[in-house]
Amino acid sequence: MTKLLEIREQIKFLYSKAEWIITPVAKLLAAFISLNVINTRMGYMPRLDNFGIVMIVALMCAFLPTGAILLFCSIFCLLHLYALSLEVAVLGMVVFLLIYLLYLRFAPGESLVVMGTTILCAWKIPYLVPIVMGLVGGPASAISVGCGVLAYAFLDVVTDNAANISTMADEETIVRLKLVVDALLANKQMLILILVFAITTIVVYVIRRLPVDHAWTIAIIAGVIFNMVLLLVADLFYELVEFSFVRVFLVSLLALVIGMVLEFFRFQLDYGHTERVQFEDDEYYYYVKAVPKMMVPQSSRTIKRINRTNYVPEEEEDVREYAPRSRRGGDYDETEEYEEFHEEFSRRRSQEIDRELGYGFDTMSSFGEDPDRPPVRRRRNPADAEDPGDFEELF
Amino acid sequence: MLNEERVALMTRMASYEAGEGKRNMQIGRFFRSDYVSIQVLKAFISATISFCMVFAIYVYYNLETFMENLYQIDLLAFAKDVLTKYAWFAGTYLVIAYLVCTFKYARARKNLHLYFNNLKKLGHMYQK
Repeated sequence: MTKLLEIREQIKFLYSKAEWIITPVAKLLAAFISLNVINTRMGYMPRLDNFGIVMIVALMCAFLPTGAILLFCSIFCLLHLYALSLEVAVLGMVVFLLIYLLYLRFAPGESLVVMGTTILCAWKIPYLVPIVMGLVGGPASAISVGCGVLAYAFLDVVTDNAANISTMADEETIVRLKLVVDALLANKQMLILILVFAITTIVVYVIRRLPVDHAWTIAIIAGVIFNMVLLLVADLFYELVEFSFVRVFLVSLLALVIGMVLEFFRFQLDYGHTERVQFEDDEYYYYVKAVPKMMVPQSSRTIKRINRTNYVPEEEEDVREYAPRSRRGGDYDETEEYEEFHEEFSRRRSQEIDRELGYGFDTMSSFGEDPDRPPVRRRRNPADAEDPGDFEELF
Repeated sequence: MLNEERVALMTRMASYEAGEGKRNMQIGRFFRSDYVSIQVLKAFISATISFCMVFAIYVYYNLETFMENLYQIDLLAFAKDVLTKYAWFAGTYLVIAYLVCTFKYARARKNLHLYFNNLKKLGHMYQK
């Protein structure tokens, strides 16, 4: 668990660090996938099914507000519908405008939910939407999910009847409109899905807001069970089209996993260290239950300082020359070496003085050439060092 | 160890910040009557456009019936019926919009007031 928490912290850190690039890339991917799904599912205007156009629009969406994705997806849908039939395009525009004017105007942040629900409906996995939205959204998300299902139902009705619509004569404009409107109003599955998803979203939201331990886990499991049971009951009474219990079960399992991941990132609490306190101020009496979040401290880099007692100033080159034995390790007597060094140093110093004074030149010939010269070491005080830069050069 | 007074403050502030903190700042710049009037006016325009669109689709859907029975239809009664439905639809939507906007404004102002007071108190606590 600690390792997972560390990974979570690292992911959060990485996201906060690279948020400026992750968000546009995520928006680009969302727009690109959505537009491709629309082109693949509808595709009545072949000119729009072009990688270049899709990429340019997706790039625009990456740097525009989130609502732009829904706007461009709507435009793509309407253009495809227009290529199929003008009446259907007008009807599509009315549906999209109704969603915008009556709901999205009050909740502009929910546009991504509407679009996401439509795309997931197209992939036949809409059953995870109410669980996820109940966890991360509010009760208004139930309406957003409903709008998404409505938009998908309309597009689905059009694609199902596309062959009939395209073969009708140009004069049969009213018949085309009637065909789509009748199919949409007779679509009980749409109404059932809207109802089931709305109830599930609200149930998950209410449970996860309850002041009980493990509220999120309970909400996820309850939501998944509730969703499956409601869909099964609906299928029993109304025989839903393209309803597969295996698919619902698998998608519910996926919803469970996604819910757990969301819980891990947003609501991981340490119930073992819950604190309950009571106190009051002038207006209220407080019964506070404080549950600490599961946190792990981020690993930090430590700088190790190497002991500076081995520091040897550069100006004492003669001393460094005589100091290798102690650096090589092994047994040696420091006191003896110290005395030896002083003897040797005194001897050489006296030789230098003799040379400067003009006598004793013969002794200089043996300087530095004696192979049997014992290694010597001098104990130095680090405080005497004047230039710390020499330390780095040595090592 | 928990600082009880600070926890009380932070509990209130967290409940506010978790909701509509940023949007409340924008709402708080208006007087109540101004904000609600603007929102209700927008809602009225939205409701009217929506009703007109649905009505247009309805008329187009039943165009053949209308054309066949044009002279038999009591246009005045039909217009009255349509206007009644429009009034019900727009009225219901405006009432909902009014309630939602009034509620949003009252909550935004109250929370903003408390939020700034609490922010000051919290600042003093951390300075101690």
